[in-house]
Amino acid sequence: MKFNSLRKIFKRTKNKTKGKYQKNPWRSELNDIVRGGCGGFLFGIPLLYTMEVWWIGSSATPAMMLTALILTFIVVYLLMRTEGFRKPRRFNRRYQAITETVEAIGIGLICSAFVLLLLRELSPGVSLKEALGKIIYESVPFSLGVALANQLLGENGNNPPDSRIEQNQSVGINATFTDLSATLIGAIVIGFNIAPTDEIATLAAAVTEPWLLAIIATSLLISYAIVFQAGFSAQEQRKQHRGIFQKPFSETMICYLVSLIAASLMLWFFQKLTWNDPWTIWLEHSIILGLPTTIGGAAGRLAI
Amino acid sequence: MTQFQEDKQEQKRTTAEWVTFSIASSILVAVVGLVSFTWIKQPAQKPPVLLVKSNKPLRKLNGQYYVPFEVVNRGGQTAASVQVKAELRINGKVEETGEQQIEFLSRRERETGAFIFSQNPKEGELILRVASYKSP
Repeated sequence: MKFNSLRKIFKRTKNKTKGKYQKNPWRSELNDIVRGGCGGFLFGIPLLYTMEVWWIGSSATPAMMLTALILTFIVVYLLMRTEGFRKPRRFNRRYQAITETVEAIGIGLICSAFVLLLLRELSPGVSLKEALGKIIYESVPFSLGVALANQLLGENGNNPPDSRIEQNQSVGINATFTDLSATLIGAIVIGFNIAPTDEIATLAAAVTEPWLLAIIATSLLISYAIVFQAGFSAQEQRKQHRGIFQKPFSETMICYLVSLIAASLMLWFFQKLTWNDPWTIWLEHSIILGLPTTIGGAAGRLAI
Repeated sequence: MTQFQEDKQEQKRTTAEWVTFSIASSILVAVVGLVSFTWIKQPAQKPPVLLVKSNKPLRKLNGQYYVPFEVVNRGGQTAASVQVKAELRINGKVEETGEQQIEFLSRRERETGAFIFSQNPKEGELILRVASYKSP
């Protein structure tokens, strides 16, 4: 109802803006949000796998929660004055930095609540105050990540396409190999922070099979979004790669498997998993660590 | 279209951007509202009040007796390291004891678990109590 009236109010604005500049404002807006969310995941996921932050959130007083929100607002606002998650940058608007700050915090709150729910850190048994504390404290790195979205993986918009041509010459098996190793490197960089900690075992204890499936789906979705949807740098270049697994869907699948294997190897390396453990434990733990390693792997493929 | 007109057009927000902004701001307002609500709703923070009880019937598996328990914090503040103890007295003598520590128990939170005894608790007297907690 609220949005209907909003729509009516801004119908005129929409008609006017329907010029040649943006063919579909909804689509570009969605891309902006996805890019922001991906930046949030890249920056925020290591802290989501930190028990201490859940506890700090659980025992935080409402006054501390508001302070955390205000501090986040200030920091994100300062970041937004120089760089945001939208493309192209529009500095000439009034209050642009403030509206984008509100949006970044909104995206941060939604993303952190979603992952906390996925990891069963939010459940019906958790009291409202505790849930709020967890969401707010976890949303801080997410909001920062949203603000840094364009900087995390660079902006391609103004780059001359020189490098692309060079890349295209080495397509084929080489591109596939580069992608797989980039995935592995990215997965290891993120996963090494998380694999030796106790969080994986703690989370695995609380997660049931349907939630594991949901975690797999989320991993694939975020990986796909980061590499092919979010409009980070090198994305156009990626779509032109031609190799064995270079179609977006098959690449996402293969790289997810690589990230899963990397996750289980790291868990084994840190002796969190041993050969005596049943395969169900290996699977559960790898899937739970697979979420951050997939995100790292996706970022790795864009970075290289 | 001239460059000037294009620039002018860019300054306006599209419907899509307004929708994003209004959703984001309503989320932020809702969260701030909920935090303020929890703040106002608990004027004086009462210390934790911890209750433990055995709410489900005991189970017997492989000659062991499983006594499920549930501990709840009815007070205002969060309790950390909540220690739950169980004593099984048979003929007035403490035969078996069990201990369980719960990391965090915030206001109205419930945690469940079980104590395991090798003798039937029904033949004696079972005492469940919370022994200690610390402030987080």
